[in-house]
Amino acid sequence: MRSIQVEQLEKVFQVKKKQAGLTGSLKALFKPQFTDKAAVEGITFSVEQGETVAFLGPNGAGKSTTIKMLTGILHPSSGTAEVLGCCPWTERSKLAYRIGSVFGQKSQLWYHLPPLDTFELMSRIYELRRNDYTERRDSLIERFELGPYLHTPVRKLSLGERMRCEIAASLLHRPQALFLDEPTIGLDAVVKQRIRELIVEMNREEGTTIFLTSHDAGDVEKLCDRAIVINHGGIVFDGQVEFMKQQFLTHKTVQLVLENDPGQLSLDGVAVLTRSGSRLTLSVDTGHTTIESVMSALMSSHRIVDMTVQDPPMEDIISRMYGTFRAKEAVM
Amino acid sequence: MISFSKPAKYIFIGKITLRSQLAYVVDFVIRSLFLLLILYIFMQLWQTTFAGEGTTAINGYTFKQMMWYLVFTESMVLATPSLCTRIEEEVKSGDVAFKLIRPVSFLAFHYVEYMSEVAIRFVINLLLGSTIAFLMVGSLPVGAGLAWLPLMAFGGFTVNFMLGMLVALSAFWVEETRGLEFVYNKILFTVGGMLMPLELFPDKLQQIGHWLPFQTIVYFPARTAVGMHHGEIAGMLAVQWLWAALIGLVVWFAYRKGVRKLNVNGG
Repeated sequence: MRSIQVEQLEKVFQVKKKQAGLTGSLKALFKPQFTDKAAVEGITFSVEQGETVAFLGPNGAGKSTTIKMLTGILHPSSGTAEVLGCCPWTERSKLAYRIGSVFGQKSQLWYHLPPLDTFELMSRIYELRRNDYTERRDSLIERFELGPYLHTPVRKLSLGERMRCEIAASLLHRPQALFLDEPTIGLDAVVKQRIRELIVEMNREEGTTIFLTSHDAGDVEKLCDRAIVINHGGIVFDGQVEFMKQQFLTHKTVQLVLENDPGQLSLDGVAVLTRSGSRLTLSVDTGHTTIESVMSALMSSHRIVDMTVQDPPMEDIISRMYGTFRAKEAVM
Repeated sequence: MISFSKPAKYIFIGKITLRSQLAYVVDFVIRSLFLLLILYIFMQLWQTTFAGEGTTAINGYTFKQMMWYLVFTESMVLATPSLCTRIEEEVKSGDVAFKLIRPVSFLAFHYVEYMSEVAIRFVINLLLGSTIAFLMVGSLPVGAGLAWLPLMAFGGFTVNFMLGMLVALSAFWVEETRGLEFVYNKILFTVGGMLMPLELFPDKLQQIGHWLPFQTIVYFPARTAVGMHHGEIAGMLAVQWLWAALIGLVVWFAYRKGVRKLNVNGG
């Protein structure tokens, strides 16, 4: 079943043009001039029910504009979209009952009240049946381990505790699709990990479609099977996260322990990252050479005691990917 | 899945606001101590005026009534939260968009929130203000007018919400709404009859005031509560709710237009 279907979706904003200086400001006041700025330019993709999709792109690429269109807040300039069988912008209130959203930077919990009160409010807002609600609430409390904080005012919770409550609150009405915008922003590594696990669990057990934007590589790697990358309003990559890694993975890291200090190493496509005596960390440009040929070259002249080959962290892949876009733009 | 009716939704929002506002009770009490200052100043002012006039009543109001009138108007005005600050913040930060994702009406949500907040503040102010006034000028002659206060105040706050919302919604088009709110508050102080009953105004200004919605906010409830013009209660209520409905309609249109702008241009 299709969860999200987007075709040729386009959004053009009118941006006020202002010249610098006081005269410019005055001119803009009396005779405003507008220029068109395309935030999203004819993107097409579809997401199956139960998929976990990371929606990536540098700042200003059109991510949040797209999310706003998919949740019905923004009306597109052209194109069509369907979320859970509804047109988001004409059937926004109908859709509202079936989707959930978590915005890492915005809180939906009532600041002075314990989370339990917000849960109660959500149950009313989403018009949940009493039994359904208590059952669902209790299972979420158990799963998210919220027991100890239920009666503490939100202002006294730590960010990690609060975030768990935020996600639980947005899951109360059993949304079929969950939109997450930077859900782990500002959290420490352990809490991040826990939140990712919980989201993955929800996805597996309830088949909730996950649509996530994040600048955190870990979110993408641990949470999502598929990545859609946009830049300047257009899709530049759409495929499995694994495949994305391979495509943008042009380097591998090799850690070596040799029997003797190898002295000067000069191999084609190999850069020495660190070295201390016979311990070396190399970066191998796999576009230029292969791991195999580097290894055989090394083995012919040195004795290898220990060796590991690693992919660079996701972080590097994403920054390399964004870097590639910029390089291309510079050429154009 | 639907079992709760829509009104139940908003009743609960009202209840939760009330609970949340209890966190600020100390803040409200401190704020309403301001009443002490105002009442003291006006007591001096009216005492001198009444002494100067040499009469027991000015335009139908006795000194006691005048002071209690002020207790009611001040209690109401001090009870109203700044809608502008709230809505402007929501529009600017983009929170308004996220409110739209939930199956709840933006205007109804704010109305319920506003009314429950106002209710709790008004009661506190009234308790404190009455105590002060009681100690300063003695008790208000309890009359049938006082019984109408809750209903009148309810209508008054509703009109005030509508007007406040209208000003606040301009945040969709202008950057800064505080200026407008400042002007609005000053209008309420004067032709709205907060500082003194409209009867005391020059004829021309009185006539103008009677054609404007501002009189329905604090002037109507306060003059009824101090026992003036009981025969006009039905008429006043009608005028009050007529304005509430009329401005409510304008608010609704402004909101629709604002949302459309947000839909088109991202706010």
